[in-house]
Formats: sequence, C-alpha cells, structure tokens
Amino acid sequence: MPSRSPFAPLLLVGIALSTIPPSRAVDAAAVPSLGLPAARFVAASEAETALGRALFFDRRLSFNGTMSCSMCHVPEQGFASTASRTALGIEGRSLPRNAPTLLNVGWLTRLFHDGRENSLANQAWAPLLHPLEMANPSAGYVLEKIAATPEYGPLFVAAYGDATPSMSRVGTALEAFERSLVAAGSRFDRWFYGAQADALTPQEQAGFRLFTGKARCSSCHLVGKGGTLFTDERYHATGASLRDPDSGAHPVRLAADTATEITDVELAAFVSPTATDLGRFEITLAPEDRFAFRTPGLRNVERTAPYMHDGSLPTLEAVVGFYNAGGGRVPNKSVLIGPLELTAREQAELALFLRTLTSPAVETLPAQVRRTDP
Amino acid sequence: MNTLTRRVATAGLLALLLIATVRTATADETCNSPYTARLIKGQEQFLHVWVLGVKGMGDGSDKLVTVDSDPKSKDYGKVIHTVSVGGRGEAHHMGFTDDRRYLWAGRLDDNKIFVFDVGSDPAKPALVRTIDNFESSSGYVGPHTFYATPGRVMIQGLSNSKDHGGVTGIAVYSNAGEFVAKYDMPTGKSAIGTGDGYGYDIGINPAKNVMLTSSFTGWTNYMMDLGTLIKDPEAMKNFGSTMALWDFKAMKPTQVFEVPGAPLEIRWNLAGGADWAITATALTSKLWLIKQDKDGKWQAKAVADIGDPSKIPLPVDISITADGKGLWVNTFMDGKTRYFDMTNPESPKQTYEIVSGKQVNMVSQSWDGKRVYLTSSLLANWDKKGADDEQFLRAYDWDGKQLTRKFELDFYALKLGRAHHMKFSAKPAQVAAADRAR
Repeated sequence: MPSRSPFAPLLLVGIALSTIPPSRAVDAAAVPSLGLPAARFVAASEAETALGRALFFDRRLSFNGTMSCSMCHVPEQGFASTASRTALGIEGRSLPRNAPTLLNVGWLTRLFHDGRENSLANQAWAPLLHPLEMANPSAGYVLEKIAATPEYGPLFVAAYGDATPSMSRVGTALEAFERSLVAAGSRFDRWFYGAQADALTPQEQAGFRLFTGKARCSSCHLVGKGGTLFTDERYHATGASLRDPDSGAHPVRLAADTATEITDVELAAFVSPTATDLGRFEITLAPEDRFAFRTPGLRNVERTAPYMHDGSLPTLEAVVGFYNAGGGRVPNKSVLIGPLELTAREQAELALFLRTLTSPAVETLPAQVRRTDP
Repeated sequence: MNTLTRRVATAGLLALLLIATVRTATADETCNSPYTARLIKGQEQFLHVWVLGVKGMGDGSDKLVTVDSDPKSKDYGKVIHTVSVGGRGEAHHMGFTDDRRYLWAGRLDDNKIFVFDVGSDPAKPALVRTIDNFESSSGYVGPHTFYATPGRVMIQGLSNSKDHGGVTGIAVYSNAGEFVAKYDMPTGKSAIGTGDGYGYDIGINPAKNVMLTSSFTGWTNYMMDLGTLIKDPEAMKNFGSTMALWDFKAMKPTQVFEVPGAPLEIRWNLAGGADWAITATALTSKLWLIKQDKDGKWQAKAVADIGDPSKIPLPVDISITADGKGLWVNTFMDGKTRYFDMTNPESPKQTYEIVSGKQVNMVSQSWDGKRVYLTSSLLANWDKKGADDEQFLRAYDWDGKQLTRKFELDFYALKLGRAHHMKFSAKPAQVAAADRAR
C-alpha cells in the first residue's frame, strides 16, 4: 500500500470528515476509531454513559419485564440480532424488520430503516412505547418505574445532579451509551487509512477495487477519503422487499444432517396475513420512496447476518449474488442497481473484502459493556 | 451465588436427598417425579389445567382451571373453579412439590412461577405465592419442567436473559420458594461429549442415581410465530440436539448423547427394574431409547419413527403406561394421538391412532391407563390460526383397543383461553384411603 491511496479517483463521492492523515502506519489498537469520520458530537460524561448502559440492559423497562434494548441489540451478536431474520418483540410479536447494529450508530444522522428519527435521544423512546416491542403504555409509566427503582437514583444524581428521571434524560443517557459503541480500526482501516500495506491480502484488495469499481457498491456505500461509514444515508429501492414470490415449498432444517420441505398449503394454518413493508414511503408518502430503505453502513457487516431490512439474505455471498443479479423486482428500483456481471471469482473477492471491515472491538466491547462494576 | 454458598446449598440438597425415602414408583398417572407422594391410583377427581390467556377473550389472563373429572359427580366434565393470575406470560407446565400439597405453574415468557395450594381443597386451588426471581437469581429464562425432589423443586430453564438463545440450566428452589442453587447445562467439547447447553425436561432414576435432561430451543424460537420460524433458516439452526446424563447426587453431567432434532419429554420405565427411558424428538420425529448396554454403559439410540418424519408431524407430549408397556404420543401438526406398544423398547410398534383434534399437544393418563385426557395448545405463537385453532380438553376412556370420548370442553367457547398442561388431584379423604391401602 503506497502512502497515497491509489483509489483517490474513486472516492470523489465520499464524505471527508476525518482528520486522520493516511500518511503513516497506525496502531489500530491505539485508535479504535481509525477510519471513522470525525465525530460530530461531544463525548458524554462517564456518569451519563454509565446511566445509559444500565438503562440499555434493564429488562424491567419493558411492560412485562422480558425485553430490554440489549435483547434485540445483543452485544455478542454485533449489537444486532443474528438468531432470526427479524427481531421479536413483546410476547414474541414478529417485527417486520431486521434489528440493525448499534456499532458506530452515534455517527448516523438518520435512524431506523426508514430514517424516521434524527437523534438517538428521540429514537430511544420509540421501542419503549411501541406496542409490539417493549409495549409500555406511556412515557410517564416508564419514568415512574425508573423513579421507583432504587439503584437508578445515584446514577441520575451522578449524571444530572438530581435523581429525577425525565424523557430527555433517559433519551440522552441512552444516546450517550450508544455513542460509546465505537468499532472501527478494522484491517481495511489499517490498510486504507493507516497505510499498513500488508493488512489486506491481494484478494481482499481486489475485492475493494470491485467494491469501488465494477460492482458499484460505493455508489451508495460511500468510502470517504478521510473516514467512512460506508453509507450515503439515503434511501434506495433494491427490490429486497419484493423478491420473487415463494415457490410454494420451503426447505426446512430439522437437524444438522436432516432436512425436508414444507409447502405453503401445509403451512397455511400457521401463517398470519402480513402487510407489505413500504419503507421510506411510510414516512414521506412520496411515491418515489415506495419500498426504499436507508443504506446501511457496512462496518462489521460480517458479524451482523442476516442481511437487508427484512433479514432475508443469510450470508454475504447471498447479498453479493442478489446485487450481481440486479437486485429484486420492484416498480421504482434505484437506477444505481442493475446486473453487474461479476464472475464467481469476483463475487468471492467482494465477499472477502467485506469481511475485512470487522473491528477488533467487536470481540472486546461485549465484555466491556456487560461489566457490572464501575 | 458464590462458590462456598453453592457448596453449602448443594450439600444441603444432597443431605435431604440421601435421607429421603425414595419411592420406587414405576410411573405415575402423568409421569410425575418418582419423589412425588400420594400417587392417585384410583379415580382422579379433579383435573387442573394451566391455561394461556388470549387477548380480548374473557379477562385475557393466564389461569388455573379446575375441571371435575369424577364420573360420579354431578359436575362431571364441568369447569368448577378458575384462578386468574393476571396478564399473559406463556403459561406452560406445572409440577407438584414432593408432598403433593402444592402445584407450581410456570410461564415461559415473563418467568413468573405461581404456587397453588391444591392440598387443602383440591376443588378450589388457591394461589399462595408468586415467585418472580427465577431470571434474576439464575440468569435463566423459561421455567419449563417442575420436578420434585425431597424438599426441593428442580426447575429446568429453556433460555437465558443474555441473548434469549437456548443455553440455559437448572435452578433449584426449596419447597418454601427460596432459590437454592443453579446448574448450567453442559456446553462445549469435553470427555463426556459435546454439550450444546440447551435444556427442556428432567427425568430421574433414583435407584441408578442418574438424571436425564433433554434439549429444545431458546426464547427467540419458542416465542416466534411458528409459520415465520419454519421459514427462517437462521432460527431453525437453534434447536437442541443432545441429552445429558447426570450423576444426580453430585449434580454433575457425566455423559452427553447426540440426539438430533430437539428431544423433549423424558419418561422413565422403572417397572421391575427395567431402567430405561424414552423420549421423542420434535423435529426429526423419532423415539429414542436411553438404556444401559451389557457393559453397563448408558447409550441413546433411535428406535422408531413417529409417523412420516419428512412431513414434520411434530411429536410433542408423550405418556408412558404404569407398566412401561405402552406409550401415548401426540403429534401436533396432524392432530393425531398415537399408541405405541413398548413391550420391546428396542423396537416400539405403533398399534393405534386417531385424529383427536385439528391440533393436539398434551396427553395425561390415569394410573390404570383406562382414562386419557388431551389438550390442544402447544405455545401461544405456535398454535394454529383461524378455524384450525381449536382449544379443548377432551377426556376419553381407553379399553386397550380404542379411545371413546367421554366429555369435551371448548376452552374458547368458555372464554378461558388455550388449554395446556394437566395435573390430577383427588380429595384428601380419597388420597388418605389410597395411602392406607399401599
């Protein structure tokens, strides 16, 4: 890797906010944010972050005491849910969308797959009050429950000077904790932003050239010169929500070496009607936003399967295959998406590259945030 | 719980076990723990049904429903009492304390455990205690099996509060409802086999000092809509595929068997020193036999298919006869109740079946095997929908050749909810008479 990036011409569409110069080798362990743009927020106090951590893991904050933020954003699962396509809410209610990772979420300016929120402090209240998620009947109900829980008093005093919980304080404390979930400094970052030439293999480097070239991934998953989130934070209809109708038979894994098929007819008694997910349109009512969803960042993507807003693609290879085929069928599919004609080798290289985006913090953060001592 | 406290608690438990009089019961009327007193060998007079509340139906809450099951009673076949416990938390299984005075009933979602006094007046069970520290004390979620040991209740969890996956363990409580100890299910590769950490049922053979445990799945799967789950390849990977053999007195796993496809209920046949156990795998639809080989080593092997496994009949509850020569098996998907001849446990033969409902889950039989009771609900989000969502208690007589319907209760028409686990009881006078006759 030369001291100057050879891919500069490909990065013109990227954002460039970081001040980390790509001019010398960097010890990623010493710079866990290596590769991220400069933060646009001021780091919260330790006390506020500690309060947010306590709230994040507290199952008592759901109506029936079974759900917390961490039950859908599981630290050991990349702060997402990897055990099912879409997350489950209270009483096992099926939620329509995959739980996104919270790693580096502090850098995002739009939240939820449809981008309906613009701050983590505001966003935090949506799951708390959603009838299918944590199902609390009101904000006041939650605040009274917190106020009646003795261990929160000292945490609020330490963070805000007195023990009174409020919507604002709960939101900003959770925001503070989520902003602390920084996970960059990946092998890619060391190679690209840290000038460590041997951090990527030749195949992975070829994958990056495809990412920013023939495969056109960086059209939406932007790569900034000074740092990147791998997202344009815009909305695109990829067709992931309107893929080909079911064939009528579904493979079912029964055990490690045993599988069978079940038909829609056999499943009919178990299926509830589900509404089509219209994505960003549900927020804007603009026809061009039908079936469009926010471009997700790709950092740590290896650890946050399954993929797409509905968790419908189980592996990175499946995602690459989906885009190579030109996405799904949807009336207003993004003009940026079309058949890519990647060879099998190129698809493999692309998937290899995506696996270089995993931060060392993915392994260390779970233990750090689950600690119970100060 | 620190190590010292755990050692003390374990020692206390073991002391109680050692001084207890172990009843070498074969099987009881519905496969209770062999430490359970006062087995009902005559006519069961009451059926207690643990019922899942349904939103918008009646009070929408889980409840213990008591049904008069004495054919000589004027209220035979009728609901005579209900105790609503408030809210819905995935009511599932129940178990008696060793003295059979109290019935513990658990909820798999919110982890609450309700203790009912069924000894004072079994016609009118009374809620006397609610245990709400199962998750906070153990880290486990989904209190499933309630298994009596002397002075203690062992509770097998299904999941955990860390990620709602299937890694879990057994919590031990005193009969007074105090948390005593916890034991993680075996995980990882070791000299005893490769444990997956999953749990489901408990079955103890006191004479051999062995305990068997089986494995199911975590909260994420058992709370998920079944139609969604079956089509989710990621979620379908997360089912247990092991059974563990434990040194019961030491509460240490000694052997892990590979039993693919979620082995569920464990039924010991202890009659005449038979000393074998049988289980059914939910996903792979097989009966598995756990038995010592000629060298005394415990082995697990598949001995029969249940229906056509490729059609996923989904075997659920099983009930072994008191003499160990017969086994009832319910298959949820096709709504069938099947009878297997277990005379040769190495080669069970299905000899009878009926379609007993559009869906069927639990099966309980009287000690003499002449009466069989069925209920319909598996899990709130696994039950069928629409017209196929029948919710019933159906009572039958069994003459060895066929089931004859005696009465039926439609739990939806009665605005009760989803009918799940059943336990029997009888009036104290009858129990006392039975005791004297033993």
